[in-house]
Amino acid sequence: MMKVLLADENSHRAGALARLLEADNSLDVILLNPHASLIDAVRCHAPDIVLVDISRADRDALDSVRALAASPLERPVALFVDEDDESLMEDAFAAGVCSYNVLDTPVKNVKPLLRSAIALYHRFKKTNAELLAAKKTLSERETIDRAKLLFMKHERCKEEEAYRWFRKQAMQHSRKIIDIASEYLSNNAGKPVE
Amino acid sequence: MSTSCRIGLLQLADSAPVIVAHALNLFSKYGVAVEPVIVPSWANIADGLVWNGLDGAIMFAPLAIMTALGQRGRAIALRPGLPLSREGNKIVLRGQHTEQEQWHSECDKHRAFQHWAATLDRKPRLAVVHLYSTHYLILTRFLKSISICRDTETEIVIMPPANMIEALAAGEIDGFCAGPPWGADAALKHLAFPVAGSASIVSGHLEKMLILKETWKAENPDATHRIYNAVCDAAKICTAPEQTAYVTDLLSAPLTAYGLGLPAEAVATVMPAAPTAPDTMIFDTAPRSADSSFGWMIQDMQTEGWLTRPLPDALSNLGWV
Repeated sequence: MMKVLLADENSHRAGALARLLEADNSLDVILLNPHASLIDAVRCHAPDIVLVDISRADRDALDSVRALAASPLERPVALFVDEDDESLMEDAFAAGVCSYNVLDTPVKNVKPLLRSAIALYHRFKKTNAELLAAKKTLSERETIDRAKLLFMKHERCKEEEAYRWFRKQAMQHSRKIIDIASEYLSNNAGKPVE
Repeated sequence: MSTSCRIGLLQLADSAPVIVAHALNLFSKYGVAVEPVIVPSWANIADGLVWNGLDGAIMFAPLAIMTALGQRGRAIALRPGLPLSREGNKIVLRGQHTEQEQWHSECDKHRAFQHWAATLDRKPRLAVVHLYSTHYLILTRFLKSISICRDTETEIVIMPPANMIEALAAGEIDGFCAGPPWGADAALKHLAFPVAGSASIVSGHLEKMLILKETWKAENPDATHRIYNAVCDAAKICTAPEQTAYVTDLLSAPLTAYGLGLPAEAVATVMPAAPTAPDTMIFDTAPRSADSSFGWMIQDMQTEGWLTRPLPDALSNLGWV
């Protein structure tokens, strides 16, 4: 049975990946506790392979284990590199995951693990990007609403007229409505309404 | 302007020339597009170069050499790049005014270190930013200079520079050797006191270089000198006393505002024109010979057993020796 240590501070993603991998009976999947040391976990569980979020700060420590003279780990640790499949490693890096081999000899069947991780990381990245885009849209809408409200107070007009004014300004100056609205707010907020 | 170059860098004050060149549109002035990419650790820099996430990086020579030789992943061609900075690293040890006074009052620094270590309840845990770093080599030389055995009398841990203050405050480490401004920041926050600047260990040592991948250079034959020119102009701005406030503000600005999110007070003390600080960084893009730039590092890397004797041919082929 192959022992896989998952080190990812995004607990949702780590849980999803663990569930995905646990479907394979030949894998023993260990999740690293949040805030636990990666080096300590490798020492304690002696995994065959470590899948790690590349932004984890203590990845550098794992990176250095093979050569560190005073390393508390007896097992060598090396970044998993497949010379025949460069695109796999490029995909892994782009997705934000990498794998470390914790044995002297390369672990077989790492590729499917890495592919599962890449797919999952991509899915989380996409969801995250969609969430950020949604938050941005919401925040932009709020800004435009605030600007319209201020315009309506200043100009004593209705919402349609306020919107038409912002849209006209945007078209005349080839700018986005959100930029015009932000500018209007920063120039007019705090000014007394006549 | 058709060339786009992704340059990886860490949250360090000696990344300033690329940040300044970007903020002042100097790259555009020279007809190149550059995207600074701030990454969390040195492993990300090396992997970014190897696995095509980055086209270049601000990095130290030992990591570039070991990456070029395929000692941490696939080998890729990396040659010495544009020198950016010299000196500026600092070694600090846990403690405040009392510990600092004791350190300075003891002339025998071996005894001073032992007295300091005795105040801890474990073997001193000292952090460096990466194994293949100038910091590790400099810390090793410092410990040797005071007759402390690195491998038996200390425990070396690796962590990104930006994490060291938190680790010191949390008691995870007892000292570190890191680039600017983190040593100054630890002192200002009364977490640690400085015991040596890297200039006092290897005077005038090369610290960071801007290294571009050979494959990227080949694909963009006209772009390298343009990028170098922009960064050289920026390095002059970083050195000018009248620009210190601007550069400090820029480095302290949040990441979302094109800054590096560094602590402003600490940055001010490590800027080249800082009036009183003893361990400032030096921005110097003047080319020097391979031997004067990398000779001491390669010698130390051989001592560590990272490089063979005789040296691999690839090193001279790539221009490191």
